[in-house]
Amino acid sequence: LETVVTSCAHNCGSRHMLVAHKKGDVIVRLSTDNGTYQGDAYGTDTEEKPQLRACLRGRSYRSRLYSPERLLYPMKRVGARGEGKFKRVTWDEALSDIAQRMVYLRDTYGPTALLDQSYAGASYGVLHKSDQIEGLLGRFMGMFGCRTSSWSVPSYQGTTFSSRTTFGTIQDGNEDDAFAHSKLIIMWGWNPAYTFHGGNTFYYMRMAKQRGCKFVLVDPQYTDSASAYDAWWIPIRPNTDAAMMAGMAYHIWDNDWHDQAFIDRFVQGMDKGTMPGWAQGQESFKDYIFGERDGVAKTPEWAAEICGVKAEDIKKLAEMYATTKPAALKASWSPGRNAYGEQYNRMAAALQSMTGNIGILGGCAEGVGKAWHAEAVAYPYDQFANVWYASIKSDRWAHCVLNYPNLKREEIGLWPRMDQLDGVAPNIRGIFWQGSDWLNQLTNINKEIAAIRKLDSYGEGESLLVCMDSTITPTGIWADYLLPIATHFERHDVALPWYKGHYYIHRPVVIQPLGESKTDFQVFTELAYRLGFGPGYNPRATRDYFNDPTQVDEAYLVAWWDNVRHHQGVEWDWETFKKRGVYKFVLPEPHVAFRPQIEQGMPFETPSGKIEIFSTTLAQTPDWTRTQYGYEIPAIPKWIEPWESLNHPKAKEFPFHMISPHPRWRTHSIFNNIPWLRETFAQETMMNASDAEKMGIRTGDTIECWNERGRVITPVYVSERCMPGVVVLHEGAWMDLDEDGVDRSGNPDFLTLDNPSPAGAFAYNTVLCNVKKSDLNHRPGWDKLSTARSHVFRRDL
Amino acid sequence: MANQVDKARIKENVARMKRETYTPVVPDMQMGFVHNNVDCIGCRACEIACKDKNGLAAGPRFRRVQYIEGGTYPEVFAFKINMSCNHCAEPACLPACPTGAIFKRKDNGVVDIDSTLCIGCRKCEAACPFGAPQFNVELNIVQKCNMCVDELEVGRDPYCVAACMMRVLDVGPIDQIADGSYDTKAVGPNETVVRQVRSMADPELTNPSIRFVPHSKGIVQDGQ
Repeated sequence: LETVVTSCAHNCGSRHMLVAHKKGDVIVRLSTDNGTYQGDAYGTDTEEKPQLRACLRGRSYRSRLYSPERLLYPMKRVGARGEGKFKRVTWDEALSDIAQRMVYLRDTYGPTALLDQSYAGASYGVLHKSDQIEGLLGRFMGMFGCRTSSWSVPSYQGTTFSSRTTFGTIQDGNEDDAFAHSKLIIMWGWNPAYTFHGGNTFYYMRMAKQRGCKFVLVDPQYTDSASAYDAWWIPIRPNTDAAMMAGMAYHIWDNDWHDQAFIDRFVQGMDKGTMPGWAQGQESFKDYIFGERDGVAKTPEWAAEICGVKAEDIKKLAEMYATTKPAALKASWSPGRNAYGEQYNRMAAALQSMTGNIGILGGCAEGVGKAWHAEAVAYPYDQFANVWYASIKSDRWAHCVLNYPNLKREEIGLWPRMDQLDGVAPNIRGIFWQGSDWLNQLTNINKEIAAIRKLDSYGEGESLLVCMDSTITPTGIWADYLLPIATHFERHDVALPWYKGHYYIHRPVVIQPLGESKTDFQVFTELAYRLGFGPGYNPRATRDYFNDPTQVDEAYLVAWWDNVRHHQGVEWDWETFKKRGVYKFVLPEPHVAFRPQIEQGMPFETPSGKIEIFSTTLAQTPDWTRTQYGYEIPAIPKWIEPWESLNHPKAKEFPFHMISPHPRWRTHSIFNNIPWLRETFAQETMMNASDAEKMGIRTGDTIECWNERGRVITPVYVSERCMPGVVVLHEGAWMDLDEDGVDRSGNPDFLTLDNPSPAGAFAYNTVLCNVKKSDLNHRPGWDKLSTARSHVFRRDL
Repeated sequence: MANQVDKARIKENVARMKRETYTPVVPDMQMGFVHNNVDCIGCRACEIACKDKNGLAAGPRFRRVQYIEGGTYPEVFAFKINMSCNHCAEPACLPACPTGAIFKRKDNGVVDIDSTLCIGCRKCEAACPFGAPQFNVELNIVQKCNMCVDELEVGRDPYCVAACMMRVLDVGPIDQIADGSYDTKAVGPNETVVRQVRSMADPELTNPSIRFVPHSKGIVQDGQ
């Protein structure tokens, strides 16, 4: 058998090595890094250069590659949208139709008629990139002259806003090996045992534990991360995190545990003394915490009422965090996926700053947490990289379609422009889904479906839905054209670490594209030729690129590798890299964000050059409706009551708070169709045992969860590991509607609200619902595979 | 339909099996597994790697990560017990096999099944106290972990061990694992291994070749 080094390829937060074992043109087995590929002995696995071992999703890739859901030919819809009836057509017919319709829609409805809903679902490499902001589709539509962009990132927009506001950058992360040096790690809503965040983050945390690090988990559920790291579990009501952090800040100040020297030197607006001259008299963070303006001191007792955590526990955690050095408060993305989620992230940054845990090894300023810089782009990257004519909050497209033209700009979060298109709501007539399953993954799916029905009502030919993916997806079912895209096993590319880790993995063409699959880049290039800008779009190619991309792709990657060699001091030439398959950088010391700022006094990238707890930009915004946010955001982090929570009057009617974390047996919706993975974990709702007992619900029963937005059916898993009043349903199940519009697969986004936080954070975890036992049918997947949980058992010991 | 099997070979193997039931094979070196019950995140990469290597459909699982959880909110605990075949010193499956398809390898102590002799009667499945033998419906035979002998023989780790992202599952000579002299990342500093944990069948039954770093709630008396 021939073995070929390649990698996995999803937007899951990590990137690991896969080794394909080939017989002829078929992959018959996958293995992973064993330490030898960089020329070391078998089993080499050191702290500086660890193995990049693939997770369960990566290991199951062979069954996705050859799955029955694989798209092999271009398809055209023949039934109604969503009915799932398609016929096979030629590439020529599909691309001609699409090009013709694109021109018609642009010329009739203007440069904002086509919506870019590309996402990093399946194509995350340096050359073949699907990406929301600057991927191949954005460049294609921008050059075509018709693109409405989607600016808020579903996973971490609250966090992005916080990091940019506070530190001026989203490069606020430490490398994964830095976690091995902490004395205390607070996992705030963070579950690396599920998300595998970063190349080896979870493994370095095990090293930290062996070196005496203590762990704390603040989360409504007792996760596997908590059990593996033996963490102190603090259950907290969802969506109240900022309040608890405010209580911690109060207690730290109250006991003088804060690092005043650090605050004075590096922070703006933490207290009166660090307010900028122009803002004297405005409220500082400390003023807020001590209630100088609103008369409410944010004491631990005040916080305890809101978040359901005992005041003693808040105090104890505050003391642990303030007196242990170095300590990492890892404020993960998920509590930020909430109404006013950005306030949680900014509040965490305030705690990180006041304890001086920024810029030191073993501390943590994350945040978004991007760390080591990878050379990420090999495709043409120029002034056309991210051209758009309107840009909206990503979860507002359905609202935009349904209410056009009676829209205020702040309702859809229109990004300001300097030209006559500023503030003009887009008349959306078409959507491109590239590597994206957004119909299944954005909030409030029933509203999205209504929006598609509105597009239908314009009549045949008056709208266009195109889905480009390697498998059929729940979104693809609604498309007019399905274009089969070659997977990363079938095209030449280089993989980057997604989140943390410092390495590159070569991805050769392992097998020839299945069926008539083409790469995204091939499809866009050919479409660009049909629309008249082919050479501009893909300057290294001729039109023959559609038939054979080999030489052109190689040329792009060679040029990219030259950049790598120049900028990152790599000794290997391209041929050596190709032969080895992986290049792991060995860093002289663990990369820690803001080390130069703290150690050498370099300015932060904020307007003031300091860590801005009091934000210059926010404080100087005169008219919020003219910003992309649309609504006011306070200049300092504050606790703001969310529009739904267990403390809300609405909880009388809907007494459960649903959270929808990432499952580990899927990457969002990717891999939902894989029997191996479906066998390991089931799509089920977890609820607390005492809640279940009151309602006569037992493990294995079928329940329905509903609110005014939708209804889903799942089995239930009754557990002590979940906080009372909370239900947990993992996101990403492939929607499967019955005739009454009830989702039988258990996709929580039928219950979520499409109302983003002002800063753009998706409110995925701001959901009240009710629960009851049900006679309706649960269907875990389209293939009706059974999903026994026989292997999971509870025994009272 | 079971395999077409050669009656003469069955006879020959049954004779061997009887011999080995009364005088078990004592391997030159007994290989075994070690698993850290606490540090395991329960991700099941090992399970999937195993299924991919062995070409299994959904259903049979040579390796099984079992979740143990207990306590009452908010004082809860959870840990994992990860088992495949324990390649026992005195395997219960071996004497249960009517065709002599099950045998123990002399060089490394791996308990293996000769698939060409298996008639799918599933008696070994019933005999094993650990649930190791897995019935493959499509092939109508019983299959199980063979510790990836093909990998062992060329000096590499089994697929499950090589897959472990947390480095909490390892393989080695069981004597050395048991006395702590084997160098393995599965066992952390200041940790020792035990022979039995709670929720696991009595090791006296078959003398399984596996050791665990136990969870505090998984420790049993006389677990050594």
